[in-house]
Amino acid sequence: MTALPPAYFLALSVLLLGVGVFGILTRRNFILLLIAIEIAINAAILNFVAFGAFSGTSAGLTGQSIAVVLVGLAATEVAVGLAIVLALNRLRGSINVSEATSLRF
Amino acid sequence: MNIEPVAFAALAGVAVATAVLALLVRELVHTILWIAVFFVALAGIYFLLAAPFLGVLQLGVYAGAVTILLLFGVMVTRKRIFSREAATGIGPVPLALAFFTVVLLAAAATVLPTHEVPVRAYAVTDLSTTLFGTDGAWLLLLGLTMLAALAGAIYLVREGRE
Repeated sequence: MTALPPAYFLALSVLLLGVGVFGILTRRNFILLLIAIEIAINAAILNFVAFGAFSGTSAGLTGQSIAVVLVGLAATEVAVGLAIVLALNRLRGSINVSEATSLRF
Repeated sequence: MNIEPVAFAALAGVAVATAVLALLVRELVHTILWIAVFFVALAGIYFLLAAPFLGVLQLGVYAGAVTILLLFGVMVTRKRIFSREAATGIGPVPLALAFFTVVLLAAAATVLPTHEVPVRAYAVTDLSTTLFGTDGAWLLLLGLTMLAALAGAIYLVREGRE
């Protein structure tokens, strides 16, 4: 049976969230932006699993269930994101998010 | 000699390093290869947390499907697949924020409890009972969301839309 301090997993989760937010704030390429969002979502999923695994009750099963649903939702989000990338590429000829200005007034 | 702290340290190190590398390398294809390694490392961490089903799901959905989808996105949006990104310098503000965060984390880590708590392992059958037990409401909801998202994606990329 695994025995590790829960703080290890939470620290890793915070670090990954930080990396993801850093990417979201600094990258201007749409695909890089999607990847940064994926990193942040993965940090959240890791939190669900870690808290559940260390709770010692049946809450662990709920945590894993939420994680399964979140993995599916994140995959869906990538599919929609790439559809936006293709549409943006056809419309503007580039996937730089700074050039996607057609909704600004 | 307990192998678990060593395994966790190795996997966590690989995960953070590949996440940072993926956002910093110039070639977009290299980014996606690094992010695949990141997903595999996280799958290993799920195995450490006694969640093997989730680990396998992470390998299949993230390291497999999402990586291929992202590669496809790179493939169809640029003429030369290995062309470099324009150099985007990182300003002093993000660097200062990152440094501040790391310092804050290091300070917080000193007050975190370090006693070891046993991870409770669950049978996969119990997980499936939780997932499908309430008439499969969770998965039904997920399936409907995916249906709506895919319909929206097809609407976005269909021909002749201006």
